Amino acid sequence: MNASETTYNDTGLETDLAGVRLCTPVLTASGTCGYGPEYADVLDYRRLGGFTTKSVTLRERPGNEPQRIVEVHAGILNAIGLANVGLRRFIDEKIPFIREMPTRVFVNVAGHSGEDYVEGAAELDKHDCIVGIELNVSCPNVSDGLMFGTDAKLLRQLVEAVRAVIKRGKLIVKLSPNVTDITETARAAVDGGAQILSLINTYAGLSIDTETWKPLLANVTGGLSGPAIRPLALYNIHRVYREVARDADIPIIGMGGIQNARHAVEFLLAGASAIAIGTALFVDPATPIKIADGLSAYLQQHGLRHVSELTGGLKLSG
Amino acid sequence: MTTAESKPTRVCGRVARVAANTAICREHRAIEFTTADFPNSEPGQFVQLQCCDASEPSPRVVEWPAGGFPSLASGNNWDGRSAFLRRPFSIGDQWRDANGLTHIVIISRTVGPGTAWLERLTPGEALNATGPLGHGFRIPSDDLPLVLVGGGVGIPPLVYLARRLDELKRRDATAIFGATTRDLLPIRLLSEPATDGKPLPCAELAGSARFPAVITTDDGSLGMRGVVTDALRKWHADRGNQSRVDGVVFACGPEGMLKAVSQMTRELGLSCQLCIERKMGCGLGTCLSCVVRVRDESKAEGRRWALTCSDGPVFDREELID
Ligand SMILES: Cc1cc2nc3c(=O)[nH]c(=O)nc-3n(C[C@H](O)[C@H](O)[C@H](O)COP(=O)(O)OP(=O)(O)OC[C@H]3O[C@@H](n4cnc5c(N)ncnc54)[C@H](O)[C@@H]3O)c2cc1C
Ligand SMILES: Cc1cc2nc3c(=O)[nH]c(=O)nc-3n(C[C@H](O)[C@H](O)[C@H](O)COP(=O)(O)O)c2cc1C
Ligand code: FES
Repeated sequence: MNASETTYNDTGLETDLAGVRLCTPVLTASGTCGYGPEYADVLDYRRLGGFTTKSVTLRERPGNEPQRIVEVHAGILNAIGLANVGLRRFIDEKIPFIREMPTRVFVNVAGHSGEDYVEGAAELDKHDCIVGIELNVSCPNVSDGLMFGTDAKLLRQLVEAVRAVIKRGKLIVKLSPNVTDITETARAAVDGGAQILSLINTYAGLSIDTETWKPLLANVTGGLSGPAIRPLALYNIHRVYREVARDADIPIIGMGGIQNARHAVEFLLAGASAIAIGTALFVDPATPIKIADGLSAYLQQHGLRHVSELTGGLKLSG
Repeated sequence: MTTAESKPTRVCGRVARVAANTAICREHRAIEFTTADFPNSEPGQFVQLQCCDASEPSPRVVEWPAGGFPSLASGNNWDGRSAFLRRPFSIGDQWRDANGLTHIVIISRTVGPGTAWLERLTPGEALNATGPLGHGFRIPSDDLPLVLVGGGVGIPPLVYLARRLDELKRRDATAIFGATTRDLLPIRLLSEPATDGKPLPCAELAGSARFPAVITTDDGSLGMRGVVTDALRKWHADRGNQSRVDGVVFACGPEGMLKAVSQMTRELGLSCQLCIERKMGCGLGTCLSCVVRVRDESKAEGRRWALTCSDGPVFDREELID
């Protein structure tokens, strides 16, 4: 990591995420920013807190048949099917670029089995340009990945197994909202050794063509993201922060429908230490920079010295 | 990473001003907007336009017809949805004026909330544009005969290509533009087209230039009765029906038309570039939603998914599978 290239400033936005220093608390969310080169000319990585790659699996995956995406009220449903180049090509073709990126890079790892995750994470952890591994245990599109994210016992075993092989980078566990009680899976991840929690992944959803009576996505169901899920995401972060993360001293990366600095403030107040931008990048890849600027303006207006003063600041009485 | 000195090839979220919004036929509107420093584009490239007022979409009030229900037919925005993602539009023309302002024209057909929003824009209003995106048509450098085959809403990128070919003074270039009926043709004509499929310089380009064109309509209400492939076959026959006429066909239009043109050009020994449409999320190569199958011998299955937004939208006929 070229720490020297990271811009630190006196905007009060520098964030310490479980020991990883970020120039702002604003990251990109996995699957919405490619592997790095795609936005290089339109998103100033020097001013981005962190970058999370598309999910990487051991073997290359072509992904689902189209339609893979459909726009719904205030959001999108997607069923991309974890299309990715696979671990080998990721290392050969993508890491050289990542090594030069002037921001903190997290790699999101997905798998079909516990061994897949362990092998992928161990291999990626050897590359010191990667500051952390985010486990995607919550993608609702691929049936084989779903069980880890929804079964607390399995999740804990998976996180323990991966944590055991990670020597250098931080371990992030990305939680699925498609559960009855997210604090159970959050606790399982923390007990298993997660150093950071990220939430939320997309909500399972369906959209139907009323002329043909067929699903609009070839995969039938997909994951809902965008402004439509924002209050749901906030609710989940609020609960995980109060019931699990705060006492365990585990930072949360909050995401789900964030489009501007006001939304970001809401997520921080609910308990997030950092936030990630997904779907909004499709409309404007520079959104994270605009949010960071908006956050520093907010700090000034409210006489706050540091963005961390917002985390968990939600007032519940009085 | 782009260095500070290198000129950007695309810009994101550029605020432009609407200069004009005029109907060019029953279903298509030409929307011209201006902005400073927009990168140069190639015909076939597209822009992604934000088609809602705020970054935060709010549902609109649906107007119910008196005594009835809003129609559920597709394209009818009965649930009051506003466009959240940007919408892709082929660049229909682009030029820089004496003041250095870039003018861009898109031709839009109203089919849903985003295009309905565009329809209501008035001169002076703001429009947020990203582009130019994708790869355009590749114009061969040797003096081969060129045919521009467009159907309906696929015509705009070919009008831009026609103007480029006109500037390049390509002698042997013909447009074949088709529509279902007279008032659905999204291009202005300066004179009546021939009914026998003979190219006449009737198509209007910016600056009142004329381009040789054959116009077809399904019902014969304008130009030649029939479809664009009928006119393409005639164009070929008029060249003496040689078993092989070297030439390049540039095609854009509905899926069925593209398939027919693809098949016919293969039969006639013409090479063919197709500008295709796919549902897009980002237009920037990150959401992986705009996939199309292409041949790839390096893969075990002999094929892979390509991205329409960044590998296309123009593909060579031989690259595309089905
Ligand atoms: C590269 C490219 C170039 C295009 N150029 C033009 C153009 O020059 N003029 C023009 O009028 N239209 C063009 N389109 C299609 C245009 O983008 C869609 O009509 C528009 O996105 C519809 O938005 P909406 O909100 O009005 O309707 P929606 O509610 O989004 O959809 C209404 C109808 O349009 C279709 N549609 C929606 N989005 C897309 C999409 N991204 N691609 C294809 N079909 C879609 C849907 O299947 C549906 O039938 C182009 C599309 C692409 C991919
Ligand atoms: C098109 C698309 C692809 C995604 N791909 C992945 C992925 O590969 N791995 C993952 O963990 N999350 C993936 N996500 C989920 C996002 O990272 C994020 O958790 C979710 O979209 C909520 O944030 P948002 O509303 O800001 O998009 C994807 C989301 C979208 C819209
Ligand atoms: S539209 Fe997102 S990758 Fe092509």
